[in-house]
Amino acid sequence: MTLGRILTAGVAAAVVVVAGFALQANDPAVAKDKKAKAAKVVVPLDTKGDASVRPWKRYDRWPTRDMAKYNTLAHLASPPAPKEPRKLPEGLTGDPAKGAKLVADRSRGGSCLACHVMGPAGGANLPGNVAPDLSEIGKAGRDDDYLFNYINDARVYNAETVMPPWGSHGLFNDQEIMDMVAFLKTLTKPAVFKTELDDPNKRPAPVEKRDNLDPLENPGMWAVEKAQAMWKQAGANGKSCNTCHSNPTAQFKTWAASMPKWEPRLNKVLGVEEFITRHARATMGTEWLMETDDNRAMSVYLHFLANGTPMQVDTTSPGAKAAIARGEKLSHRKIGQLNMACSDCHGIVANHWIRGQWLGEPKGQLDHFPTWRTSLQTVWDIRQRFQWCSVNIRGDELPPDAKEYGDLELYLASLNQGQKLSVPGIRH
Amino acid sequence: MAEKPRLKLPSEAKKGDVIQIKTLIPHIMESGQRKDKEGKVIPRKIINTFVCEFNGKPVFTANLEPAIAANPYIQFSAKVDESGTFKFSWKDDDGTVTTAESKITVA
Repeated sequence: MTLGRILTAGVAAAVVVVAGFALQANDPAVAKDKKAKAAKVVVPLDTKGDASVRPWKRYDRWPTRDMAKYNTLAHLASPPAPKEPRKLPEGLTGDPAKGAKLVADRSRGGSCLACHVMGPAGGANLPGNVAPDLSEIGKAGRDDDYLFNYINDARVYNAETVMPPWGSHGLFNDQEIMDMVAFLKTLTKPAVFKTELDDPNKRPAPVEKRDNLDPLENPGMWAVEKAQAMWKQAGANGKSCNTCHSNPTAQFKTWAASMPKWEPRLNKVLGVEEFITRHARATMGTEWLMETDDNRAMSVYLHFLANGTPMQVDTTSPGAKAAIARGEKLSHRKIGQLNMACSDCHGIVANHWIRGQWLGEPKGQLDHFPTWRTSLQTVWDIRQRFQWCSVNIRGDELPPDAKEYGDLELYLASLNQGQKLSVPGIRH
Repeated sequence: MAEKPRLKLPSEAKKGDVIQIKTLIPHIMESGQRKDKEGKVIPRKIINTFVCEFNGKPVFTANLEPAIAANPYIQFSAKVDESGTFKFSWKDDDGTVTTAESKITVA
């Protein structure tokens, strides 16, 4: 809370002095008491432009599916759930050998093994346990109608289901579903696993033990040095971060732990990454767009400076409260062709395996962002994580500065109050 | 070509000590096996040699092959009998050499 200068030159934004306390730059009580109501500081922010590339283009290595026909966090498009089970299609017989291949086919948005142990299917290779073990479903006394409809659209039997509507959403056609039904009926014996790790019910939950703050262990730490150099780089108007913030180690000891935050001038929640873009643009004429290496490095650094600080975001101001309510609603929205909501994987079936990946609860999911990802050799911030979650379940992502992501991030932060920052993280 | 290498080794030791030396160099280590979106092979570009010398004498060398992953981490031990300077060098396929050094006082 030491920013005492209001920059009046070169700021595109309409600077609004928020009603509150007069800023006493030299008043030690105000400067030092972090727990007291914050002195309302006017922080320069660009409010005119976008904070990420327009038009937003999906990452090169990500699937190129266009899923405009299905819900996203920003718009509704998915067809409504059927109200009644369908009659079994006439004249189709299922081939269990084909079915065995289909249930293990990972290119179709699954495979079934992502959630179900299924006897010998797919070689019983690292199946998940999000959903019931179907290894003996052939003995369960379920008729073909039931099995067909469960795969086609499980919502006709369970409105709260997490299972994708494989038929209704066009992932499998009727013949393919019949083939899978025929295969399921052959399953009468428990699965035999090659190793104990393949059995999701015996697989131990992963624990991250690496020292994420050791630069020899975590390449994400190199962003800290890069950002320290960036700190002193002059922007288009000759100013650098250092011009106003000459002692970042002291000045940002807790800041990142208070983010994200509702920003009334933009009518949205700002996370650290978007803040960086808009603040750098307004104060230095520097472009550090969201999800560029520069922006990510700066975000790592600003979080790093607040490491150890318990997260404490504003949840009580009217703007924050409304955003959190919206975020919570969004976390329940089914999106994508696979028709899943955040709250499905990270709520209803949290602490289970989806294939070989562990689904975590919301608590503990934010304190290590931005994180280094060893499988991708790059840093991800939380907005990229949101984007990939959407694309991974066959839905379209939004640009990183979408207001819906802001609401979601603030909601997620509200579930993580008290968690101590430890950035950069290191994860697969 | 490569970014700054990172080192972790003691700056002081007793005569006859065996010390641990940890090194890491940021480098893409492109194996030459990957293909780009158009199907063309992405050319190989790796660190192919690592050399560690102490007071001018070789201590440890390694020939790296394409199977080594990005940001090669090399850890080894060395016995120190006198004070001096460790010099490390990494050679890229294209011939460029990145170096680093670290002094140690041996009592």
